[in-house]
Amino acid sequence: MFKKSSKKPLWQRFKISYVAMFMALMLLAISALPNLYPAKSWLHIQMQESQTAVQVDTQKDVIAFLNQHGFLVAQSIDEPQLNGGSLNILFNTPSKSAAAQQALKAEFTSLETKIVTHQTSPSWVQGLGLAPIKLGLDLNGGVLFVLDVDLDKAQQEQLDSAFEQTKTIIREQKARGVRVQKNDAGFELHALDKSLTDLESVKDEVLARFERLQATSHNQGNMTSMAFSFSESGVSSFTKEVMSQTLTTLRGRIEELGITEAVTQRQGKQRIRIELPGVQDPAEAKRIIGATASLDFYQLKEVGGKSFKHKDGGTINLDPVAIFSGQHINNAQSGRDEWGKPLVQLSLDSQGGEAMSAFSKRNIGKPMATVYSEYYQNEQGEIVKNSEVINVANIIQHLSSRFSITNMQSAQAAQDLALLLRAGSLTAPVTIVQEQTIGPSLGADNITNGLAALMLGMGITLVFMALWYRRLGLIANIALLLNLTALVGLMSLLPGVVLTLPGIAGLVLTIGMAVDTNVIIFERIKEERRKGRAPYQAIEQGYNQAFSTIFDANITTMITAIILYSIGYGPIKGFAITLALGLITSVFTGVYVSKALSQSLYLKLADKQGASA
Amino acid sequence: MKINYNWLKSGSKMRFAGLVISLVLIFISTFGIASKGLNFGLDFTGGYLTEFTTSTPLTLSQLSSKIDASGLENYTVTAQSAQHFQLRESEQHNPWLDTLEQNEDFSVNVLSSSYLGSQVGDELFEQGCLALFAAMVAVMLYLAMRFEWRLALGAVVALLHDIIIVVGLFAWLQLEFNLTVLASLLAIIGYSLNDSIIVGDRVRELLRIDTAQNLAVDKVINNAISSTLTRTLITSGTTLATVASVWLLAGAPLQGFSTALFTGIVVGTLSSICIAATLPQFLGLSAENYKVKLDEKSQALMDMP
Repeated sequence: MFKKSSKKPLWQRFKISYVAMFMALMLLAISALPNLYPAKSWLHIQMQESQTAVQVDTQKDVIAFLNQHGFLVAQSIDEPQLNGGSLNILFNTPSKSAAAQQALKAEFTSLETKIVTHQTSPSWVQGLGLAPIKLGLDLNGGVLFVLDVDLDKAQQEQLDSAFEQTKTIIREQKARGVRVQKNDAGFELHALDKSLTDLESVKDEVLARFERLQATSHNQGNMTSMAFSFSESGVSSFTKEVMSQTLTTLRGRIEELGITEAVTQRQGKQRIRIELPGVQDPAEAKRIIGATASLDFYQLKEVGGKSFKHKDGGTINLDPVAIFSGQHINNAQSGRDEWGKPLVQLSLDSQGGEAMSAFSKRNIGKPMATVYSEYYQNEQGEIVKNSEVINVANIIQHLSSRFSITNMQSAQAAQDLALLLRAGSLTAPVTIVQEQTIGPSLGADNITNGLAALMLGMGITLVFMALWYRRLGLIANIALLLNLTALVGLMSLLPGVVLTLPGIAGLVLTIGMAVDTNVIIFERIKEERRKGRAPYQAIEQGYNQAFSTIFDANITTMITAIILYSIGYGPIKGFAITLALGLITSVFTGVYVSKALSQSLYLKLADKQGASA
Repeated sequence: MKINYNWLKSGSKMRFAGLVISLVLIFISTFGIASKGLNFGLDFTGGYLTEFTTSTPLTLSQLSSKIDASGLENYTVTAQSAQHFQLRESEQHNPWLDTLEQNEDFSVNVLSSSYLGSQVGDELFEQGCLALFAAMVAVMLYLAMRFEWRLALGAVVALLHDIIIVVGLFAWLQLEFNLTVLASLLAIIGYSLNDSIIVGDRVRELLRIDTAQNLAVDKVINNAISSTLTRTLITSGTTLATVASVWLLAGAPLQGFSTALFTGIVVGTLSSICIAATLPQFLGLSAENYKVKLDEKSQALMDMP
């Protein structure tokens, strides 16, 4: 009687939670779906010739060339367009795409190639914006760089620039009683009591131009000194700005190199991690990514100024403050002048254009110098800036935002400089502190081995549970399979989750440990049954009593997973993520889903067999 | 009744014997760590590492003689299989690869190459130690909140025991200790506590039920262990099976990881019974500890308006 009356509200209560649970599982299962369809990498070739005849020839040539060199073309799709058209090629062994790209680049220099990954999942899945789990470098193959950004050097540069500007300010304000001098932390101004007002106005102007500096003054007799250095908030905002600027620049450069799907992110305080999946030859990427070249344009000075080295020997004195610098360059193209000498054509943004226009108008007939600066590591391992004047030219006419730099050393140098200027220059020198190249075959091996381990571990667990717990084991096994589906779904759904080889190990480990939840519960249920409780109550009791134990047991692993996630990078992070997400899904499927399952499946069977028992 | 009693008695004996074994293992491990030191991987030392395969099977000495011919000094080659090798050097010196590639007996295929600055290596080591330390402190705090101090201390000692033995194994066998091994140490911390907590939970539960104090603490602990033994063995068994399949099939990159985890789970199971459950007994755990607490709690409940 009592049982009957309590049954209906319970059933209604469960109905809602069942629906929610079913929805969540369906959602995760659909998210996991794209992983069944492996992505294919196509080689996308952009044809530059506009004449159709030439284009057809090139296409045939390209395909014949590839087949000849062992890159068997499985499928090619031709997309004619007005300005050239493009060719998409799929290889029999897609992991060779990168090698094929290298070979093509060497043979056909005029072609632009890039590797594009296409999903092969059904269009409705793609329509939902679902994609498979991102694979880490150790599974995908590719190149990893970790760059160290020299923030101290960048700060020093900023202080030097402020020092030079201060000299100009003193001259402009005719503050004769004020002297400026470098010190350890930056620079300082000295003035006697009678020129204190001058000192104040110079200070105000310097602080207005350089907001991140702070001034501290102290008196010594009738001499007032004012020291300038970075303020604490200035340092942090400067660091933030330099890092984000460096990231933007590096992303631009990687894009210019034709590498899609690169991961560029900040790592720690002053490191940048760059993962280039699919890239096999790090040499070119390294030359471009690590390059610190920048261009600045200066006015010549006959008296005073700062002395610069000239490329052809000798020194030249230039105004220490640049007219404008490389960051105002919008676009740059390499080319050749009428004598066939390599040059770089520049176009400036509005700010740079104005500066250039104003300057050239005032200085027609006067020379302007182009200074090329680069950081390099000297024998003592220190980073040193090397600046040299690559070009001094007379301003023949009023220049606007478009002009060119002639006299480049080689076509390669012109190409590199154009690329660097397009992508922007780095404000702080960078050095490569970690570099890793993983071949595509190693990555593929890692996937096969990892999946084999997963299958074996899973198989053993499923068979064991089915044999040991029989009917309850079936429930545990369904929960386990749902757990794997949910975990894969969750990993595909969350942005920023990357599957690595240790991540697969974490996945396998999760499977082994997820059983724990069910084992704890089932042992409890058995115990309750031995005490003589009815099946329904035994299940209810078993799940309720085991919950605090399960929670305790999982929270400690969760703590370690979170700590691992917060300190680890790359593969280790992948392990931590899989472990943490695996704990969440295993509690969800192990406790809630299997409770629902046991209540509906197990009890129905028990009712049929033992309603009288 | 009599048989049951005997079994319990031998249960206690087994626990004490296990405790002695654990102490011996800790001693051996500490000695190994102190005398032999750890064989740190590239992650912690920095340097250059090249992984390559050869077209024909080679012994290490055959390969070494070829490499020596290039004039390379101060390097270590390890074999992952008869055709799969790793070469580690502290300074990059490429001619050895050219020499290998030019030889006529076999061809060489480079699978991966890595460089890590020594400064980064030092930082990773520091961070790793920090992570281990932070993980221990965090779980200790959690345990202190959750358990009576004797049980918590037992779990923590069991945890240290597991970590020391795994690190000791790596020292004795001079296996490469790298970042993935460190990650598995953290996973062991989580796993070892998992086991200890489940036994401790049961001890706590039985002590609370046993308000009349009919049973000695010794018996209560034995009861708790025997009622959780099935669970401990099944979970350890399935986890060991999955870790073993990683060990067997996932290949060289996860070898250290699975070795550490496998050892960790085996000694973790041992320590959850022999240390986590036994140590509190020596520290004077009794039903009293819980009786008082329960009374305070119910008092508080009763005092509530």
